[in-house]
Amino acid sequence: MIWIARRVGVSLALIWVVASIVFLALHVVPGDPAELLLSAGGSAPDPATVADLREKLGLDRPLLTQYASFFQGLAHADLGTSLVDDYPVTDEIARRLPRTLELIAAATLLSLLMAIPTGTYAALHRGGLFDRLMSGSAALLLAVPVFVVGTLLVLVLAQTLHIMPAGGYVPWAQSPAQHLVLLVMPALAIAQGLTAVLFRMTRASVLDVLSKDFVRTARAKGIAPARILARHVLRNALTPVLTVLGLHMGALLGGTVLVEYVFNWPGLSTPLLNAVDARDYPMVMGIVLTISTLFLLINLAMDLLYAVLDPRIRTG
Amino acid sequence: MMTPTRRRLLAGIPAIAGTAALPFLRVPARAAATPGTLRYGLSAFPPNLSPWENVGAAAGTVKMLLHRSLVGYDKTGTLQGELAQSWSLDAAGAWVFKLRPGAMFHNGEPVTADDVKWTIEQIADAKSTAYMRAQFQEIVSIETPDAMTVRLVTKSPQATLPTWFANYNTFIIWRKSEPRDPIGAGPFTLTAQERGTSVDVTAFDKYYKPGLPKLRAIKFIAYPDESLRAAALRSGDVDMIEYVPWQTMGAIAADPRLRLDAVNGAAFMDVLFNGGKPPFSDPRVRQAVAHAVKRDDIVQTAFYGRGTALEGVPIAAGTPFYNDQLAHGWNYDPAKSKALLAEAGYAQGFQTTLLATAQYDMHKSTAEVVQQYLAAVGIQCELKLPDWSTRVSMGTRGQYDIAIHGVAADNNDPDGLTVVMDTSLSPTHSRSFALKAPRTTAAFAKGRAEFDQARRIAIYNEMQQAALEEVPLVGLAWRSQGFGMDRRVTGFTNLPAALSTSSGSTLEETSFA
Repeated sequence: MIWIARRVGVSLALIWVVASIVFLALHVVPGDPAELLLSAGGSAPDPATVADLREKLGLDRPLLTQYASFFQGLAHADLGTSLVDDYPVTDEIARRLPRTLELIAAATLLSLLMAIPTGTYAALHRGGLFDRLMSGSAALLLAVPVFVVGTLLVLVLAQTLHIMPAGGYVPWAQSPAQHLVLLVMPALAIAQGLTAVLFRMTRASVLDVLSKDFVRTARAKGIAPARILARHVLRNALTPVLTVLGLHMGALLGGTVLVEYVFNWPGLSTPLLNAVDARDYPMVMGIVLTISTLFLLINLAMDLLYAVLDPRIRTG
Repeated sequence: MMTPTRRRLLAGIPAIAGTAALPFLRVPARAAATPGTLRYGLSAFPPNLSPWENVGAAAGTVKMLLHRSLVGYDKTGTLQGELAQSWSLDAAGAWVFKLRPGAMFHNGEPVTADDVKWTIEQIADAKSTAYMRAQFQEIVSIETPDAMTVRLVTKSPQATLPTWFANYNTFIIWRKSEPRDPIGAGPFTLTAQERGTSVDVTAFDKYYKPGLPKLRAIKFIAYPDESLRAAALRSGDVDMIEYVPWQTMGAIAADPRLRLDAVNGAAFMDVLFNGGKPPFSDPRVRQAVAHAVKRDDIVQTAFYGRGTALEGVPIAAGTPFYNDQLAHGWNYDPAKSKALLAEAGYAQGFQTTLLATAQYDMHKSTAEVVQQYLAAVGIQCELKLPDWSTRVSMGTRGQYDIAIHGVAADNNDPDGLTVVMDTSLSPTHSRSFALKAPRTTAAFAKGRAEFDQARRIAIYNEMQQAALEEVPLVGLAWRSQGFGMDRRVTGFTNLPAALSTSSGSTLEETSFA
């Protein structure tokens, strides 16, 4: 318990550091939100209008005051409102975060479904045609950037074969079928790299466990091969796979930025990019804080999962 | 050793894959088009829908459907009555607008002179953030002799005042509207908005033009990525898109299912100067820059051939103010450029910086071509390509030597160029910084105060002549602006030249069968 409390404490401190760095960096780089808002399409705003907007948005206050008021709001779980349209940042995150998480969850599920069976099979038939083919594909998938895969998917599935929409989003409540169809391509694009990593990890890990003494002993005891694979091999082999998964889920959050843009998926990334472009300080701060917190939660969840899979961690 | 398991495992792979694919197998790949409802791919999600703030052309398109102003543009780009049915100058030099009887706001309230007066007051308010605030502050009194008449008295004669009301940031709003919920009188009403994704509008059944709008509804879907926007049109996800990327124009025009409606001269690229310090404080050096660049290369590189060279002041060909001779006053002539540099004391050339942005390809490509040609006459530029926000900030503060910019004029009247060429106005990223061009500025002022068309043409010839010598900016290239649509979309018109971004108003006459 103390261990968990300490970890949470350290993480909270880290979030504060991240928030402060982002806050300072945002204010140090050139770019005036008021001017940008009024300069759309290259038009020239009247400086008096810009000054008035700055005052209205509270941007004319000293930096320290703005910093203090941000953290004051944060203490009350209030992330402020967007400088662009006065929309509450919390509402925007609450609506978009689930979509990003859904994308990550779908991609993870796809990866696991593809990587674990193939990885295990490749390990059981080490050196065979399937193994060599899959290992080669994995190297290729790892090398190709996610936006290339995304663009190729749009080109082939949407524009050439016309079997998928080019991108977009339909809420589940409106049409579950459409919702899932639109989820496929972005999830595939994100899953691509992770699948390759997990495939390799599963293969290596299963190979490693297969050569262990306890597997030999189990076989000698005459336990059914299926039971050995499920209870002894996979169970032990999956712990390192989970570690890798946990490490990569953080990276998936980054991968969604490009994928959400390419497929017009209205998750958290697009508003983050737009907010940085528009120097929409409260929105950037809110989203960065959310993502940092998510990182922390994923790591915490992974630690707990290890404990479930490997009893030694529970007692140790 | 594990033969049975291996088989089971093998059998399991297709089973798992099959289960995962099940939900998608029997689903039509995309929503079918609904007649009467147009799905329109926007280039950006509107940051807000404020009727008076300029937050970009994509927002403008949506705003033009929700609201109407006193006047608008017809398909040829000529002013036509909207909420006003006529307007004229009275004997005392004031503009008088007669409102259209029967026009009503979305809440059923009639459009009256009081609403117009209130709207103008809001735009001109000292604390307003409206795009046209500075212009509207020229109005010293707003008289409403009766419910259907508005009389506007200005500080000085304003020949182009009616065009102010054709801008898509000057909509007439019901005077008792809540600030967050402006009620307009446009052909459509706002029915739903999915922030960052889509905007739905539905036909307003009491719109003042009988039989319009023809569409039952429009669904705007934001596709900020231009390639995906074009892909969405080509795969049938949407029925129409704006800002067709130049590299895709050919493919869309060639697609038998689609139609491309592109106009040239919608916007232009130019060079801006920091005139506050040498060497660009010297007009001869600026002229040297103007003669040094071969424009066709910019048209090819930045716009894939979808544009034309611009060798003079950006007045579109085909408008009454275009003067073919003056339009080529800054022709490509490297020898002349070198001579001008020598005359200014820079025979050996010099080192300088060129500011643009890496965020937009057309800015970056234009900057690279300009850099090459300037090097050829001895001006060595170091490229500075920050993100757009930084570029804007540096431009307004004069933290550059020369800069590349792209902009559209407010309308096709030369007075619409004031915002980019009158360097006596306050500093902004879209005008040259601290540059003195007194004769150009004076000509603009004279043009605004003149009501006779023939004399206005003469004045704007004078302005072009002055600008060619004073060089408040250097024109580089006109760019084409295209809308792509399904062939079944009819009645939409891409308005000429600078009005292209106002074309959304013709969606009221658009139908989709």
